[in-house]
Amino acid sequence: MKTMESVRLISGSAHPQFAELLSKGMNIELSKCESKHFLNGETSVILGESVRSASVYIIQPTCSPNVNDNIMELLVLVDAVRRASSKHITAVIPFFGYGKQNKKEKSREPITGKLIANLIETSGVDRVISMDLEASQIQGFFNIPVDNLYAEPLIVKYIEKHYKHLGEKVVISPAVDGVKRAKLVSDKLNCDLAILDRQTKGDKEDMILVGDVSGKVAIIIGSIADTCETLALSAKILKSKGATNVFALVSHGELSGNAIETLNNSELEELVITNSIPQTEKSKQCPKLKIINVTPMFCEALKRIIHGESITAASSKFVIL
Amino acid sequence: MSNNRLVILHGNAHPKLSKEIASCLNTEVGNALVSKFANSETQVIINESVRDVDLYIVQPTCNPSVNDYLMELLVMVDGAKRASAHRITAVVPFFGYARQSKKDKSRAPITCKLVANMMEAAGIDRVITMDLHSSQIQGFFNIPVENVYTEPLFVKYIKKKKKTEFLNQEFVIVSPGVGGVKRAKAISDKLESELAIIHRANKEMSLSLSSSFSFDIEETVLVGDVTGKIAIIIDDIADTCKTLKLASKALIKKGAIKVYALVTHGVFSNNAIDIINDSSITELVITDSIPNEHNKEKCPKLKIISIASVLSETMRRCHHGESVTSISK
Repeated sequence: MKTMESVRLISGSAHPQFAELLSKGMNIELSKCESKHFLNGETSVILGESVRSASVYIIQPTCSPNVNDNIMELLVLVDAVRRASSKHITAVIPFFGYGKQNKKEKSREPITGKLIANLIETSGVDRVISMDLEASQIQGFFNIPVDNLYAEPLIVKYIEKHYKHLGEKVVISPAVDGVKRAKLVSDKLNCDLAILDRQTKGDKEDMILVGDVSGKVAIIIGSIADTCETLALSAKILKSKGATNVFALVSHGELSGNAIETLNNSELEELVITNSIPQTEKSKQCPKLKIINVTPMFCEALKRIIHGESITAASSKFVIL
Repeated sequence: MSNNRLVILHGNAHPKLSKEIASCLNTEVGNALVSKFANSETQVIINESVRDVDLYIVQPTCNPSVNDYLMELLVMVDGAKRASAHRITAVVPFFGYARQSKKDKSRAPITCKLVANMMEAAGIDRVITMDLHSSQIQGFFNIPVENVYTEPLFVKYIKKKKKTEFLNQEFVIVSPGVGGVKRAKAISDKLESELAIIHRANKEMSLSLSSSFSFDIEETVLVGDVTGKIAIIIDDIADTCKTLKLASKALIKKGAIKVYALVTHGVFSNNAIDIINDSSITELVITDSIPNEHNKEKCPKLKIISIASVLSETMRRCHHGESVTSISK
């Protein structure tokens, strides 16, 4: 059995709060590491302590506001750790940037999600741990093991805990792509499912509701909240169709551009996201924003990986701390 | 003669250079959209067919957004690869991360090698670059790398200066560090002039000097003679420009009547322009491997040489399968 003494946790600069929480949960100090930019914009990293023969876990979501800088920092950290004679390198990527760019929508487009996967392997990563990849097929972009954790059990428990008193519920998928995810939640909650189907009429974008929300609490389940315009439009339509309340539970909160303003002005009552992406500033600007802590799930996953145990069983056992 | 059509695309780092190269080749830049989504992810759409073409993507990976420009290059290559381009050549006049090419401390990365691996992983077939910081970087790649030299451009420039400004005045080629002596010597040989070296004294030497010496003498040591001559500094990168300022000050102190500097890549990070303006340098000549038009206004000493003709000739020869070496003659 492997000992915890040969495990090192290293944090990039994208999300130090996540790494701190993980460090506490694992009862392992973060290894010293300094990341910075040279004056000319190049990324530079210095490892402050030995990682020789260690199993190293590098924690870095590749998220906004500087996706490309965060990716580069992850790759440079991996290179440094590999050249420092580590035994095994795992990239812990709570949010996988470029995940939405996973197929050719038009001719002559890149598949940048696949490119990023290639770059991560090229740098020397042995394993990836991520959460709620935009498409499960992204695991197949890699030639190395990818553990895709799911926030769904935590989301279900959040709904059961916080929305129990609100009456009859209906789970909403805001797009046809995400129906599968929404159905998992509606099955667990034993309630109805409805779909908002995006339609483009001329210049105007519109949504058609498939299903019934009259007199019910509408719970939107999504994977990424970016500009939040879709969420705002969804909430508006659901209200007009008779929903009593509208909540949204989304795995990743990118909240780009005018997202906060859009949220504050929307008919959405609450937007629940996880802490896969740092949100300190934005959560202050938006009282509707609630954050689920997923580090206990990552902590459990890391422990099982270290001890060579099954990951699958982890999800079903999980309780919000 | 290749049947594959030559197409040039560019990212956002240096569109002006791409247009100049295309002009030299009597063609136009291809149509591609390279932008950013709201969440700062890079987006690329190639708006014309690149099927079976010989594609050249022009993109220095330079400041202020090294990582963004690198990502643009990689994403463009991925898009072109999936659109059935016959061959993809990355034209990278300035290679970012080139100075991070060795482990200078324990537990350091070799980021330049990582970048080379990234470029190959994206699907690049060939690289054309200019005055790599160290030639060994070519060995980081498993694909052909054409390292084009600015030496002929600099030699030509100095010869022209010799006729117009230097006249009968003697000049000496100076390397501002031990690392660049080879480059400086190549130019001094071509011009049949003398060579001098400025290097920083190490700490042991500093400690042995008496306190009566001035700061500059403690910091810099001149090997060679510049008395009564025009000193021409040759270097590959002007970044913070502190070394250039220190070197020019030392050269004037040692009797040089004027100091010129010819540098391939004008990175100019932080307050480099202010440092140049305050320095003893009469003229700083750089190429346009990195866009610097905005700095010309702030610094009258700054002169920019175009590399479009050299790069376009290299591309033409690559396209037609001709020798690249003879460009330098």
